[in-house]
This record gives sequence, C-alpha cells and structure tokens, in this order.
Amino acid sequence: MPLHRFTFRAMAAENEVQLHCDDAQRAAGAASAAIDEVKRIESKYSRYLPESVVSRINANAGAAAVEIDLETRTLLDFAQAAHQESGGLFDATSGVLRRAWRFDRDRVPEDGELAPLLALIGWQHVERTQRGVRLARAGMELDFGGFGKEYAVDRAAAMLSSHGMRSALVNLAGDLLALGPQADGEPWQVGIQHPRKPRTLIGRLPLTAGAIATSGDYERFIEVDGVRHSHVLDPRTGRAVRGYQSVTVHAGSCLVAGSAATIAMLMGEQAGGAWLAASGFKHLCVDHVGDVIDRFA
Amino acid sequence: MAATERPLGALMRAALALPILAVPARAGAADVREIGFSLLGYRESHSLMKISEPILWATIPFADTWEIRASGAVDIITGASPAIVTNAGGKPVQTITGASISDRRKTGDLKVSKRLDDWTLSLSRLISKEEDYLSYAWGAEAKVDLANKNTTLVAGYGRSNDRIRSVDDRELDGHRDTKEYLFGVTQVLSPRAVLQSTLTWSRGKGWYNDPYKTTITFYPDSSVPGLSLDLRPHERDMFTWLTRYRLHFPQARATLQADYRYFRDDWGIRAHALELAWSQDLGERWSLRPALRYYTQSAADFYSPLIARPAPALLSSDHRLAAFGGLSPSLRATWRGEAFTLDATLGYYRNARSLKLGGAASPEFETFTATYVLLSIAHEF
Repeated sequence: MPLHRFTFRAMAAENEVQLHCDDAQRAAGAASAAIDEVKRIESKYSRYLPESVVSRINANAGAAAVEIDLETRTLLDFAQAAHQESGGLFDATSGVLRRAWRFDRDRVPEDGELAPLLALIGWQHVERTQRGVRLARAGMELDFGGFGKEYAVDRAAAMLSSHGMRSALVNLAGDLLALGPQADGEPWQVGIQHPRKPRTLIGRLPLTAGAIATSGDYERFIEVDGVRHSHVLDPRTGRAVRGYQSVTVHAGSCLVAGSAATIAMLMGEQAGGAWLAASGFKHLCVDHVGDVIDRFA
Repeated sequence: MAATERPLGALMRAALALPILAVPARAGAADVREIGFSLLGYRESHSLMKISEPILWATIPFADTWEIRASGAVDIITGASPAIVTNAGGKPVQTITGASISDRRKTGDLKVSKRLDDWTLSLSRLISKEEDYLSYAWGAEAKVDLANKNTTLVAGYGRSNDRIRSVDDRELDGHRDTKEYLFGVTQVLSPRAVLQSTLTWSRGKGWYNDPYKTTITFYPDSSVPGLSLDLRPHERDMFTWLTRYRLHFPQARATLQADYRYFRDDWGIRAHALELAWSQDLGERWSLRPALRYYTQSAADFYSPLIARPAPALLSSDHRLAAFGGLSPSLRATWRGEAFTLDATLGYYRNARSLKLGGAASPEFETFTATYVLLSIAHEF
C-alpha cells in the first residue's frame, strides 16, 4: 500500500499528514478533511484572529459573559482538569505574560513589569455559567496555546479515522498521533529531538498507535547573560521554569500527552518526575544537565 | 494504583469528553539490525566438563518485510564426556575413562522470515557437526496476528536428521529422524500483562543409545561382573507444554516473569519446571534480573545404575534419565548503552535426590552442582 504525504502550513508551523491507502483519491479526500479540521480549530481558537471565540471572550474580560458552544465548553472543562491536576501550574490565563516576555528580544522583564500581569492570572477568575464564560478581571486573557494544537492533532486523527484510514499519522509541528501501525505492520519511527543540538536525536520510539507530545525549553527562548529563559512560564512568578530541558509523553490522546508534558515541565524535575511516574504513561525527559531519564521505560 | 487515582486519569476523562478518538498508546518493538557475541563458561562441581561456547549472531531486516537471523557457534569441549557407571566402590559412581577428550562442535543456524500483512512466514535451517555426531534440521513456521495484534497464533513443523557415530566404535553408524509439531498462542491480557502458551509434540525414530556409556555391575556371588552397553528404545514421543507470563509494573519499573514447563515422554519421564524472575530497571542504563528455577523429573522406565539379572533388554545408567530434582538460582545484570548492550549472568545448579517432588528419587542419584557464567555483548545499528 503506498504512503501518501500531505504537508501544510497552519498554526504558524509546518505540519504533515501521512497515510497508507491504495486509492490516491480517497487518501487526498481524507487528508484534506483532516487539514480543514486543523484550520477550523486554528481560526476558532486563535487569539490573533479578532473573530475567534477566544478573541471575543478576551475582548469581554471584566464585562459580559460570552456564550460558547459545547466544543469550547468541553475544552474549558479540560483546561480546568489540567489546572486542578497540576496544582494550579497549568493555567490557561497565563498567556498575558507574553506582554512582558518578548522572545524576539534579548531582555528579561523586571519584577515591576511582571507584577501587574500576575494579578491578571488565575483560573479561579474564569467564571463559568451553563452556556457561557466570563473573565472576571479586565485585561485577563484566555489562551488555548497550551492545548489547542494538541487538540487539533486528536481531531485531525478522528477525521482520518472517520474516512476509513487505519494506517495514518498526523504531525503538527512535532506533536503527533498514529492511528495504527504502517500498512506493513511496522511501527512509525519517531525520533525525539535533542533540546540543545538541532537535527540531533536523543531518542527514538517505534510508535504503533497513540500520541507523542513534547514540551521543552528550546522552542522559544531568550538567553541573557548565559541564562536561558524559555516560554514555559510559571504562572505564580511569571518567570521561566528551571529544570527539565524537555519532556516527551506517549499517551492515547495528544491533548493528554501534551498537557502532561507541559505540567511536568512546570512542576520541575523532582515533582514532575514523580508525577509522571505515577501517571503510568511512557515518557522521556531530558534533565537540566542534558541527561536522558526514563527512556519510555 | 487504580487508574482513577492517576493524575493523568482525570486529564484523560476530561479529554474523552471531546469528540476525539481514544487511541490505545502502543509503542511497538523496533526491528533493528543487531549483531552480538556470547561466551559461556560452565563448570561442574567435580570438574567433569568445561565448555566455553562462543556464539556469534546477527539479525538483519531487509527490503522492509524480510528478516534474516543467523548464528554460529564453536563449542570447545574439554574434559571427559564418556563415563562408565560402576558399583565397584560399593555404590554406583561415575568414572572418567582415561584421558580427557577434546572435541569441537560446530553449529550454524539460519532463519529467514517474510512478513505479509498480519502473517509472518519463516523457514529455518540448523546444522551441527561434531566428529561423532551430525545433525541437519529444518523448520517452517507460520505466525498470524489477530485482534489488533493482541493475539498471536503460531504453528510450526520441524524435521531433523541425526547421524550418530563413535570414536571408539568405527562400525557405528546410527540414524535418527525426528518430526516436531508446534502450536502456540500469545495473548495480551492488559497493557501490562502477556501470556504465552506453546505445545510441542515430537516423534523420533532411530538410534538413541549413547555410544560412550557403559554400565558395569559387580555381583556378590560372582567374580564375573555384568557389563551392559547403553540400550534405549528406538522410538521416543515427547510432549512439552510451556506457559510464560509477563506482568509489568510501570511504577516500580519492573517485570515479573513466570514460566512453567511440563514435559512427558513415552520413556516414562514426567518433568515439571517452574521459573520465577524479577527484572528490575535501575536508572537509565542498568537492570538486574534475579531468578529461581525449580525442576523435578521422574526416571525413565529403563533407568538403572545396576544391571539386573537376567539382563534387561533396555538399560541406561545415564543420570539425566534418573529421578531427581534441581534448584537453580541466577542473577543477570544488563547495561544498555546507546549502541551496545552488555549482559552478564551468573548461575548455579544443584540437582539432588532431596529436591525431587512427589515420589521417590533414584536412590543412586549423585548430587550434582555446577556454576556457569554467560557474557554477551550486542550492538544495534
């Protein structure tokens, strides 16, 4: 069975759908449904598009509740569960810190710049009604950046499956899900990127089915005076977390794998390691000195 | 720990409320190219025999769905294999006959597998050569994965032709043909547990006598000792049932391995073997596997260290056909590097009358102990 590959740009990244299918036309139909689904989720939840649900909620912060549909409500339920499981570290309102942290500039924000932003962070200020959501404080922001892409991976895979695809892989900028093994029964060989050396692999996982997602301090960061400040920010301090260079999690859903990886990054090496161990999901972590721990053991 | 208590359990439940798929997370074993080298050192307590067995093996997948596995070994056998069992000293003992022999055994095997969707078909060939023993065997095997690879069935057929000669008796030219049938099932019980059960029948016809074994018995009322060659039936039907269970403990990073093997043949031997092992990962690179194996068997109907009067038509004093039990602890340490895996196993055997379970042990069975060391290095590429 031939392998068809479809690459596309979405969510500010290069993405790919791979699938094994005898019929090229069916393959293209399934792939375009999956790609459309990714673009639908991007436009619905992007904070950059003024018409998006997220932009409407943020525009009404401190004011009225915004009515939201079932999909959005369920995603907020998920964000709530992640907030609870992480002891408050996974917080979908922490995106406001971006106003102080500009990763295209080599400057670390002062405490005075962070303090007013920290006052705008707090999942407890997200008020849920039966059909709506309201951000209690003016200036607050909801950000689906921590799980929107991972959700899109799961949804794209669901579209491929509903088109009858069984040997397929969705890869959105490195967060991926395999519906099943390749047509010949072989697993997909997934290389795990080295957090410090580009184009170098620290590990490899033969993936038969399920999702793999990575959270790391290397995607966006600035380095000032030899100290790396990554985009993984602690919502309590507003500062970059120290500890793991990267965490990769293998789970049945990309949404779960991605948020678990982020939570472990936020918790740091000791608490995060114990939390991952208790989770029972396979994982691979690179600690602060660059050693690989728990190679999908 | 129950799944609901796990931190990710709550995340998973929240995720499953969304219109997404629950895909079972499965990381398959990688098909890798591997080349390896093993060395076995073996020493019996009475220093009867020492074997150093270098084995070289390689697994090479090619053209996507083909795989070749080959291994070769040269056994350097030093020490004495031929033995006479005699009661000259009052009770039967094994005696070394004169000078020790030195022999080399060369073996090679080759297995070619082809995968076709859920099926894997394999053909294998094995050749073993010694100065006085020659064995050619081949086998065919079909394997099919069912139920999303949660169930695997395997069926096999094998045939071997052996030729038995003797350094002492140049006239000897014995032949033996064996047919073997195998059926097995592997079932994934849960993401953490796998059970495998395999039944093997084998029917052999031909020469089974050990040309180097002689039994001598001194009778109190006669100055002429009885002397008998090793005389075994010319047929042997064997049945083996092997069941293996693996239970993984992700939090403890450990795997429990439990194997039970039942064996019976129409010579009267019934054997049970139970092995329990605990494979524990220690950090990123190391793992330790302590294991304990228990074995018990009944004697072959024609086993006797003494020659009865009148001399029976079938007789063997080979202690491997006696009734005895055995206990064998072992410890394996494994170190996994980026490209190399090193293994060292240290094991000990103790076979004794007192370890026999159910029914009496052969009263003449001499306690036998041995230690062995197995070292291996494998390179993945």
